Amino acid sequence: MTVEQLRETLPGYAKDLKLNLGSLLTDTVLTEQQRWGALLATALAARNPKLIEAISTEAAAHLTPEAVAAAKSAASIMAMNNIYYRFTHLASDRDYATMPARLRMNVIANPGVEKADFELWSLAVSAINGCGACIDSHDKVLRQAGVSREAIQQAVRIAAVIHAVAATLDGEASLAA
Amino acid sequence: MVTVGDKFPGFALTAVNGTDPAKAFEPVSNASYAGKWMVVFAWPKDFTFVCPTEIVGFDGVAGEFDDRDAQLLGMSVDSDYVHLAWRQSREDLGKVSFPWLADHKRELSTALGILDKTDGVALRATFIVDPQGIIRFVSVNDMSVGRNPQEVLRVLDALQTDELCPCNWQKGQETLQAA
Repeated sequence: MTVEQLRETLPGYAKDLKLNLGSLLTDTVLTEQQRWGALLATALAARNPKLIEAISTEAAAHLTPEAVAAAKSAASIMAMNNIYYRFTHLASDRDYATMPARLRMNVIANPGVEKADFELWSLAVSAINGCGACIDSHDKVLRQAGVSREAIQQAVRIAAVIHAVAATLDGEASLAA
Repeated sequence: MVTVGDKFPGFALTAVNGTDPAKAFEPVSNASYAGKWMVVFAWPKDFTFVCPTEIVGFDGVAGEFDDRDAQLLGMSVDSDYVHLAWRQSREDLGKVSFPWLADHKRELSTALGILDKTDGVALRATFIVDPQGIIRFVSVNDMSVGRNPQEVLRVLDALQTDELCPCNWQKGQETLQAA
């Protein structure tokens, strides 16, 4: 189904989310690629199958195949890095942060899209997965690349709403089962 | 022998792949593999005993090398037709999926410094070369000891794994602990 149709299935108690999602789909703070890449990457991070399906179907119309692959890569690689670097950041033993991770992450060097957009999607996914160190480092990289706070915040607003919609759909699915 | 940090020598040789004489021979050079890693492993002589197990061993993990954008290249000082004949003589070698360089003029082996001093054939040497043509790993065994392809894969993986996450940027690098 389309994102619009999915929005219509959101229950009455989640009206705020339904409207928030609607605004985010049309807001122009981000470029089309940034917006749809963020929607796709965060939908994958939020893990609700229906939301992933609806967003990815519609994203294909707004993104090049390279951008689609890059957004998926961001969700995928950050799912690894958010766990690993959150650990090194939280662990009281600081030695873990100095040990080589020995984890391949070459897609970060060659994402297939503009680096700034890939970093933006990575930051949005990190916001969902809850890695503070990741958020700070991606924020720094983005600000150095000239991306505005408004744009970064917009990506996080997308992350927040997508996560909430996913949680609501999960809840509804469990209640219906 | 060349070592880590040296540029891999230029070569232009016939590569042999498959068992069909009409399709097996292809002229190759460094340029043929531009942008890829190369894993070059040399053996002393075709039609001898340790080499087939190694070659088949490398073929067993050829997919893993391919996934890592690494071109596997066998080589010896045997000629292209000897390579072809050896492939045709055994089913396991016939199925090997990566090319073998025929360094019959001994130019590449000489440039690499891997010719055995008494025999004049290539030592059991392995090189990993990065996409910029720089040698990043060298290993040589004595004639009688076979190599472990998994070990070469492990090294390639380690060479290709860089912590590219900005999370790792810290002012004042702390010393790294051993892996």
